[in-house]
Amino acid sequence: MWKNYLTRLVQSLPFFITGLWMTIAVSAISLAAGTLIGFFLGILRTRPNRLFRYLIGAWVDVIRGTPFLVQIFIVFFILPEFGIHLDAFPAAILALTNLGACFICEIVAAGIRSVPWGQKEAASSSGLTEWQQLRYVVMPQAMRTILPSLVGQYVLLIKDSSVVSVIGVTDVTRVGWLTVQRIPHGLMVFGLVGLLYFIICYPLIRLSNLLEKKMAKGTR
Amino acid sequence: MIRFKNVHKWFGKIHVLNDIQLEVGAGEVLVVCGPSGSGKSTLIRCINRLEPIQKGELIVDGMEVHDHKTNMRKLRAEIGFVFQQFNLYPHMTALENVTLAPMKVRKISKKEAISAGMEVMEKVGLGDKIDAYPAQLSGGQQQRVAIARGLCMRPRIMLFDEPTSALDPEMINEVLEVMKALAREGMTMVVVTHEMGFAKEVAHRVAIMDVGQVIEIAPPHEFFSNPKSERTRLFLSKILSH
Amino acid sequence: MLETFNFRVIFEYMPFFLKCFTATLWLSGVGLVGALAVGTLACAMRISGSKLLSTAAGVYIESIRSTPLLVQIYFFYFGLPSLGIMVTEEITGVVALSLNSGAYIAEILRAGVQSIPFGQIEASLSSGLSYFQRMRYIVFPQALGVTIPPMLGQAIVLVKDSALLSLIAVTELTRAGQIMTSERFMPAEGFFTSAVFYLVIYFMLKSLAGWSEKRLIFRESR
Repeated sequence: MWKNYLTRLVQSLPFFITGLWMTIAVSAISLAAGTLIGFFLGILRTRPNRLFRYLIGAWVDVIRGTPFLVQIFIVFFILPEFGIHLDAFPAAILALTNLGACFICEIVAAGIRSVPWGQKEAASSSGLTEWQQLRYVVMPQAMRTILPSLVGQYVLLIKDSSVVSVIGVTDVTRVGWLTVQRIPHGLMVFGLVGLLYFIICYPLIRLSNLLEKKMAKGTR
Repeated sequence: MIRFKNVHKWFGKIHVLNDIQLEVGAGEVLVVCGPSGSGKSTLIRCINRLEPIQKGELIVDGMEVHDHKTNMRKLRAEIGFVFQQFNLYPHMTALENVTLAPMKVRKISKKEAISAGMEVMEKVGLGDKIDAYPAQLSGGQQQRVAIARGLCMRPRIMLFDEPTSALDPEMINEVLEVMKALAREGMTMVVVTHEMGFAKEVAHRVAIMDVGQVIEIAPPHEFFSNPKSERTRLFLSKILSH
Repeated sequence: MLETFNFRVIFEYMPFFLKCFTATLWLSGVGLVGALAVGTLACAMRISGSKLLSTAAGVYIESIRSTPLLVQIYFFYFGLPSLGIMVTEEITGVVALSLNSGAYIAEILRAGVQSIPFGQIEASLSSGLSYFQRMRYIVFPQALGVTIPPMLGQAIVLVKDSALLSLIAVTELTRAGQIMTSERFMPAEGFFTSAVFYLVIYFMLKSLAGWSEKRLIFRESR
């Protein structure tokens, strides 16, 4: 019986590959947008302006304190009440970008804070503007801490992207969910789905570990 | 050049600068010493507003540092600051450290900056280390690069906050020699240090601080041989005896 | 929108929400206990000298970390029946949560144990303590100080992860929001209320983490 299932599963492979592309697409777009927004907000977070810090801090707490699933439902079901009707794909991108930006913002802020205060003093003592200090002195050093955590965060976001399957985005998790209705062998179907995620995520995790070791060596 | 008038500063409840009256003229070399916690580092850090003052007037090179509206950037370009912990940028070579500010603040071309940078590096005796990274240099060499970094901006005032305190003893001299040369050339300098030999040789006046006040200030020969205050005598006996 | 926000409905459903809140706490709690058990075992296997045990634990940990929790939940939910194992959704959910968080806890514990300066081990060896005594008096108390904050972090993650169980029809906080949506067409009231409950748990855990960090700093000599 399970041999029959296996054959049908193999026949469904193209469907899974399409789903995988969707996962990659959703993740890639959200990661890119989330990184841009996250860096911007992370830099703002470390400035002396108290209003920004509290606002961003409150937003970070809300996003970190609620499940992503609830956030997706809110984007998908509640925005229409404000007149914003989004299809599943844009809604997924919006929610995932929001999640990514939030965590990346914290990573960037932590990285900036990790640069010794004396560096900033030396830079400002020579008359450089705030922006110049950030660009030439602080950020290059902050990237050392930020980069490994950033790659680690990308892995988490790719895994979180599986949740968008519940609003109908046909990513590889949803393909698995649809397939298991026809091929009722959960272990095989989701074993395959898991394997596909593994192929993407595991190398990235190794990369993150490698970066962490490399960065630790560089500092004295 | 530098004028402190009724200056007060608090860190929370601690009265770290208590009614400071001080004047430093152009071309003068002032050495500030005193026990730790006396406020001497804070004093020098107020000059380029790394620390703001709460009361009083502080006028540097004609600009009112105590006024919040004053644009410190322009003034800081005229003041070179050398830190106890060097604070060199670890991700840049020595030459890049030295030429960053001239290029970005004075907006001179890269070619000009590099030649000016090489000139100051030669001056501090490190012409052969322009492409070295701070991690590859000894403490004394790093501090000399830090001095070069300050000098490359052609400042009118050089401030030194315990420049040799973080160095191993055998490297202190190479840094002091550079500073002495600067003093002889007529640079206006304020130096916080315990190196009394340096003070004796090139300082125009020596000041001693304790608990936020300037206890005594006098030319070196008077200061060392005929201190007027008891606290000065006590302090001198402690540091000159080892 | 605030004018049309129906507080009365929330009031009406509040007993139900409270029941789901308790369910979430219960599921997370049991999941955490399970995760601690699994994690401790996996960590012990990982740091044991045996290459076989270490690799087995390693495979488990890396598989969990490289695959999404939702896929793991579906794996058990759809997979266990095909092995003939029929259990309730709650049990399936808790098993999935325990195995998932267990992998992360194993890594947290490993980092904690490895953070203890080797000199301490040497000192305790020299005074003749047995393996278990060393573990109990020297290694464990210090590892605890380092591990409690990340453990609480993982607890926060676990509570949020429990929301996914709503997708396999477990009655908990997120499902309450879904039911409000399907029964009363009020997704805003439903999911915002769920969100508030989650935030309550989050802030409680967060302040616990802050408090424990302050208390445990005294343990470490600076």
